[in-house]
Amino acid sequence: MNGDNPMHAVVAIKQVPDTSNVRIDPETGTLIREGVPAIVNPYDIHAVEAAVQLKERLGGGKVTVITMGPPKAAEALLECVEQGADRAILITDRKFGGADTLATSYVLARAIEVINAELPVDIIFFGKQAIDGDTAQVGPGVATRLNIPLITYAVAIEEFDLAARRAVVHRRVEQGIEVLETTLPVLLTVEKEIAPVRHAPLPRLIAAARYKPEVWTATAPVPFDPQQIGLKGSPTVVGKAYTPSPRSGGEVISVAALGLDAVVARAMAVIEQAHVRNLQPGTGVVS
Amino acid sequence: MTGRLTFDAIVVGAGPAGVAAALTMARGGLNVIIIERGRFAGAKNLFGGVFYTHALADVLPDYWERKPPFERPVTEQGYWMLSPDSVIRVMHKSERYQKEPADAYTVLRARFDPWFAEQAVAAGALLITRTTVTQLLKDERGRVIGVDTDRPEGKVYAPVVIIAEGVNNLLTQQAGLIASDLPPKYVALAVKQYINLPAKELQARFGLSGPREGVAIDVFGDATLGLPGTGFIYTDQSGISIGVGMLLDEFVTHRLRPYEVLERFKNHPVVRPYLEGGEVREYGAHLIPEMGYDRMPKLAGDGVMVAGDAAGMVDALHREGTNLAITAGKIAGETALAAHQAGDFSAAFLSRYRQSLEGTFVLQDMKQYRRMTDFLESSPQFMGTYVNLLNEAALRYFTAHGIPKRTMEHEILKMVRERRSFTGVAWDMLKLMRAMRG
Repeated sequence: MNGDNPMHAVVAIKQVPDTSNVRIDPETGTLIREGVPAIVNPYDIHAVEAAVQLKERLGGGKVTVITMGPPKAAEALLECVEQGADRAILITDRKFGGADTLATSYVLARAIEVINAELPVDIIFFGKQAIDGDTAQVGPGVATRLNIPLITYAVAIEEFDLAARRAVVHRRVEQGIEVLETTLPVLLTVEKEIAPVRHAPLPRLIAAARYKPEVWTATAPVPFDPQQIGLKGSPTVVGKAYTPSPRSGGEVISVAALGLDAVVARAMAVIEQAHVRNLQPGTGVVS
Repeated sequence: MTGRLTFDAIVVGAGPAGVAAALTMARGGLNVIIIERGRFAGAKNLFGGVFYTHALADVLPDYWERKPPFERPVTEQGYWMLSPDSVIRVMHKSERYQKEPADAYTVLRARFDPWFAEQAVAAGALLITRTTVTQLLKDERGRVIGVDTDRPEGKVYAPVVIIAEGVNNLLTQQAGLIASDLPPKYVALAVKQYINLPAKELQARFGLSGPREGVAIDVFGDATLGLPGTGFIYTDQSGISIGVGMLLDEFVTHRLRPYEVLERFKNHPVVRPYLEGGEVREYGAHLIPEMGYDRMPKLAGDGVMVAGDAAGMVDALHREGTNLAITAGKIAGETALAAHQAGDFSAAFLSRYRQSLEGTFVLQDMKQYRRMTDFLESSPQFMGTYVNLLNEAALRYFTAHGIPKRTMEHEILKMVRERRSFTGVAWDMLKLMRAMRG
């Protein structure tokens, strides 16, 4: 990874069911995927846009998009090509099926290593999380495996100096914005504010319609470690999935009507009662 | 990107007409782009559900090997004449419908249209979705030379543009092929639901022996409150397509809400048992151009042709449209191929499209039924009165009251006289015959 080449960004994306209109099967507790359109994870499309805009800002470079998923995920890659990605790689194989975030981060990290060997990578983008799993673990997992700096919840790239190998990135935290300086290469997981998605120009749509993503399997062109992929490489076990029942009731107590002391006493009584209910009899914590 | 985006032909709309045109041209070696505004081909499309295969076989002779996503072959079809509490069923079932491929299949457009578009792409056409054509590009002499879209750098050029934009015929108007929006008396509005039912249950309810049998029922009378229009019930693989269609004018005049008419139909005592326990999985509404032969747009201008719903190619009486669209699209495509060969894209040359179409069922049927919409509009009593009359007559005919049969016959005749008068009936029949014979 050095500064002699034009900027090279890798964006990892995921195709997800459009959960804005998804339903849960009340009996099995799983998503009903039938008839639900598949889309590029909303944060990821902003990640692609951020990479493309960075390339434009630097006056050149290359954006490579990768995804691990079923063959159908090629559609999602093509949407990224429409948004301006130069190269798209679909990592697909039945052997990858059932991967949790650990196995997924292994596959993506390994793929990025290979891509980096071909053309050094300066920056890696992830969406802050996928809307189907909501773990926000894969991006950080990849950064850890590649042993490079990680900036989560990125909202802006203030400076990006390829020659000096440094960048200044704004990151959303609860209290406000953190401004961080980092060396390159760096991995960002991004919020939507990082870059508004533009309406792709028609020539890009035409290019994408003619584009065929590269397909990588578990064995070719890159051999992945069979112990670290798919179900085998995934220690996570989903015990149970269910729809939580909505919280009931609640009570509004007016300070103006009762006075502060009375309200506090009332609130404390409610809390104490709730705790007693939740504890096993005889634990003696609250009596 | 420098230079113009140029193709041999542009097709606006990836419905049956547009795809048939693109497929024909791509197979003929033209560089074709199809521009579709929906997320995918068919995303904006809806119809009742019966698809006739003859036109498809014409553009895609090996379609059966390409595994089209059909729901069920239509092996039984006919009419229900529905009064508020009764029904007369005229159904036709035949062993001769049992062949593969069948003449007609029920189809869900969200599945069928993407498949059909894929065939055009496989033939080399370029399909661009999520892009709306906003206007036609014309040269200084008014000839169509391309289209502009809602995308940045969105202009595309071609010597010929085939408009298959559907019922909202904005570009057809822009091309000067039709003067104005369709008046509401010549546009029908159909609303439809897809109701999910397990295949076994569905088959039991409709008396089907397996997945290779299906029913198509058109319903008259109370389905549309006795107003001109039809209801329909079609069996899909594991579900029912049910809907109603009426002229827009009727909805307006009688202050009816389309979904209320459909709900009313679904709750009819004869209909409800078929739907029991089913889950509504999809609902939609779509306009149908029923302007008829005499009000069709001009089909060609300089550098432009129009096909399908945009050209009003619908035979409402026989619930046909997609087959007209496919045949017209194919002929428009062939005309574009000939134009490329001749290097002539003038209106005069492209008028061959219409000439060829005159020789097919498309324009011949449309010509024959040219008075149908007017007939129904001028005889609004037709559906309601007669359907109710028939049901009343049937009730008297099939029940025994201990009165002489001669008296029963007189009662029926008296009923006819009271409700419509014999001259009225004769007049209606004469008008109907004229409407049918063209």
